[in-house]
Amino acid sequence: MGGLLALYAFDDLWNLSNHIYYGLTALDHRGSEKYIACTIGNGKVKCYKGSKERISKEITTPLAIAATYSNEDSDIYLGTYSTNKLEFVMIGDRYIKTMDIVGEEVASRLNSSNTSITNKVLSAFKEVLDGFKGKDIPSFVAITSKGEILAYRNGMGLTPLILGGYGFDLALISSESRAIDILGGDVRKWLRPNELLYLSKYAVKNARIDGNDIEHLCAFELLYMARHDSIVDGVSVYEFRKSLGRALARNLNANVDIVVGVPETAIPYAVGLAQAINKPFEIGFVGTGRHMRSALRMDPLQKLIAIHLKMNPVVNVLEGKKVALVDDSMVTGATMKTVSQILRYRVGVEELHVVIASPPLIRGCPYKLMPIDVKSLLAAHLDTENAVRYLEVDSLTWIKPEVMSEVTKSFNIRLCGKCFGVNFVG
Amino acid sequence: MKVLLLGPGGREHAIALMISRSTYNPKLYVVSDHKNPGLSRIAKSTGGKLYRAKTTNPQEVLKIAEEVSPDVVVIGPEEPQFAGVPDLLRDKGFNVFGASSRCAEIERSKVFARTLMWKYSIPGRLYFRAFSSLEEARKFVEYAGDVVVKPARQIGGKGVKVLRENQAYLLEEYRDVKKDFVMKLFKEMTKYVDIDAKVLIEQRVEGVEYTAMTITDGSYVLALPLVQDHPHVYEYDVGPETGGMGSISGPGWVLPFIEIDEFKRTIEIINNVVKALQTEVRDRYVGALAGQMMLTALWGPTVIEFYSRFGDPEISNMVPVITSDFLEMIERAVDGRLAGYKLEIRDDVAVVVKAVAPAGYPLNKKVAANHPVSVDESKIRELGCTLLYASVEELEDGTLRTHGSRAFEIVCYDENHEKASKKAELAISYIKSLDGWPLIHRSDIGSIELLKQRHQLAMRIRRTYKARARRGLLGTSIVWVPGKGIFFDPFASPVMTR
Repeated sequence: MGGLLALYAFDDLWNLSNHIYYGLTALDHRGSEKYIACTIGNGKVKCYKGSKERISKEITTPLAIAATYSNEDSDIYLGTYSTNKLEFVMIGDRYIKTMDIVGEEVASRLNSSNTSITNKVLSAFKEVLDGFKGKDIPSFVAITSKGEILAYRNGMGLTPLILGGYGFDLALISSESRAIDILGGDVRKWLRPNELLYLSKYAVKNARIDGNDIEHLCAFELLYMARHDSIVDGVSVYEFRKSLGRALARNLNANVDIVVGVPETAIPYAVGLAQAINKPFEIGFVGTGRHMRSALRMDPLQKLIAIHLKMNPVVNVLEGKKVALVDDSMVTGATMKTVSQILRYRVGVEELHVVIASPPLIRGCPYKLMPIDVKSLLAAHLDTENAVRYLEVDSLTWIKPEVMSEVTKSFNIRLCGKCFGVNFVG
Repeated sequence: MKVLLLGPGGREHAIALMISRSTYNPKLYVVSDHKNPGLSRIAKSTGGKLYRAKTTNPQEVLKIAEEVSPDVVVIGPEEPQFAGVPDLLRDKGFNVFGASSRCAEIERSKVFARTLMWKYSIPGRLYFRAFSSLEEARKFVEYAGDVVVKPARQIGGKGVKVLRENQAYLLEEYRDVKKDFVMKLFKEMTKYVDIDAKVLIEQRVEGVEYTAMTITDGSYVLALPLVQDHPHVYEYDVGPETGGMGSISGPGWVLPFIEIDEFKRTIEIINNVVKALQTEVRDRYVGALAGQMMLTALWGPTVIEFYSRFGDPEISNMVPVITSDFLEMIERAVDGRLAGYKLEIRDDVAVVVKAVAPAGYPLNKKVAANHPVSVDESKIRELGCTLLYASVEELEDGTLRTHGSRAFEIVCYDENHEKASKKAELAISYIKSLDGWPLIHRSDIGSIELLKQRHQLAMRIRRTYKARARRGLLGTSIVWVPGKGIFFDPFASPVMTR
């Protein structure tokens, strides 16, 4: 999935170039390889692709939409549509073909509509989206050549979308609260699933799209995707991860000396586990260079490079110890295998107990949110005994789905659990 | 008793309603710039009438006053005060409730207000600098850091640029915007020849805003319950600044997120200001004086600006709660007998006021003006709510036309804000646009979510200002320049216009 950003200045004095740059930087962990930004000029929508530096220089206007992503074919939807009066571009946070039909229907509705009311575009989007009740439409941001911005959150609420404000000047929309913080704004509202937001100079309005979907956020949003300093649907990512870490203590059957986490996502889980079992939490690894998200890399060599760079061990902390190594999830096991080899051969730990903060991943993602290939899912193909042998570890503990459900419920939230083989968690 | 009320809008409609309930059986006469149907109806029902005149023209108003010969004249808005209407009426022997032009300086000139606070060491003051030259202001703003750029003169509550600059990486943008804004403001301010300084650059503070309205007779300050306005035009506190899209108050004297002690300190500030003002200005201050306050980490209660009149829409919040005789209160203020007066209120209700404006407000009042609208007042009354007519005119044929600003205010009350807010939503559904032009209002005013946000912010600010108070640091800032030494309040000298 990609990270979305939309910025709107009510005062034409603003040049949002640097805001696009730092806003995208704040969302880098959701993509960080590719960028797109669109704005308006001469009655048209213009989009720019390329490096953050390059595209942000092109945006000298008071409004823009933008996204960061890794893979253009799957991580975002990009569509340009025109009518006899205006042009609009939609950027979705993953590729779903249905978006083509949404765009075409909105365009044809706008073509046939004669009203000159400011809310015309909002009602066209609302009416079309109403017609897709029950269909999976990704969260998206859109910009029109008339200087309007729209934002829609997926009907199931799989990915978040947040409205923020900066003084009397800017409205900020982002996939993650962090970008709003970084741009100096305040979070004003977590968009509800099926909520459509419309921004223009003379109106900020929201509409509820018809739907009967059960609300459930993608579990990986809280497990892996969002940063610790973000708040998702009112849930502190850090607190959620720490609570899961505490709960992991109930499933862990091993005596350990220290607890370490795989950087950086797994640190709060490790802190929670360490506090629950009353053992020291230690910094086990230090990263080198720019932070890279190994799980979002598809190319095996690139993945390995990312792991090796971020996992330089602090030998004196680990050598000769019984180590609980915590991670947020395990997909193919390749990361864990690499880390266990580092810890066994380069460091020489006494015991290595792997603790995973999610239930076993056994199915692909029906919504194509995470790049998961079922063939390569470790938990789908190896039983625990074989997994332990392959990973060269002393034990492997996953959180039980019911334990994760309990923790999730305590945060008043429901997560999608399809990749764990259950419909919902919490 | 004959009362002459001056002013055309929602504030005056609220004042008129409260006056009309008096046991003095007042005959209400109104001077308004246009035919506000709410005002004209109340006037008629009390046996008075509405006069159309330019409310900022002292001679025109005097003529009407001489014709009516009222026992008391009540001045609603600030512009007639600035224009000297109360001064002329007092000269001619009329009893006037409303700040004289010299007292109204506290609102008209932010430089005057800020300097007064510094001169008399009144708590809750911010450092500032005033500029009458564009070049100087532009240069200063480039290096001023975290500041607010304001017009030095009151221009209808708008035109403030507040930029939070906690992000060093975005400094260039902030600087550019501020510099351009200073230019824009100077251009706009050139049409006001009544003031020397054009632009005020002032320390920026963050926190929870609230309005403290008072009535004074020049020596005694009588506090009204606190109210909170909602200046952002759009839902969720997004969008440009307006004169106020609605306000909440109650239950009781303070807002749910303000402590009694903070209320007391706020009134103490206003008390000090009245004393200082009376020392500086010969005229006795008779009328309303309101503080647009903010709870800040710097001071706790802090003054953002003063109003030499009742807040609009804030005074509307008082309509369902003040049970005392409003006219008696006005009479006592005029007579200088306010001391010892006890204001009675209904303290068991929460009040929500929502404004309804034509789309286009506040950025483009031209497109917002001249749209026909209708309202079913009886349906609104059935809900227990009050409709106030604001920037809307009744034409000869009885149709209502928008003037480009907030057209109506809806006042609802209930046991809590959320219920009152829901009532207001229902009430607003009885206001219709007749030409399809959208009407805007804020559905979130009074919602639990917004109250929760205010509460959280207030808690955060309170923790910090109380910690600063314990160390004796309220209102001070400390800068250490290596090699030069430690400086207390390096910015804290009020520099007058040059």
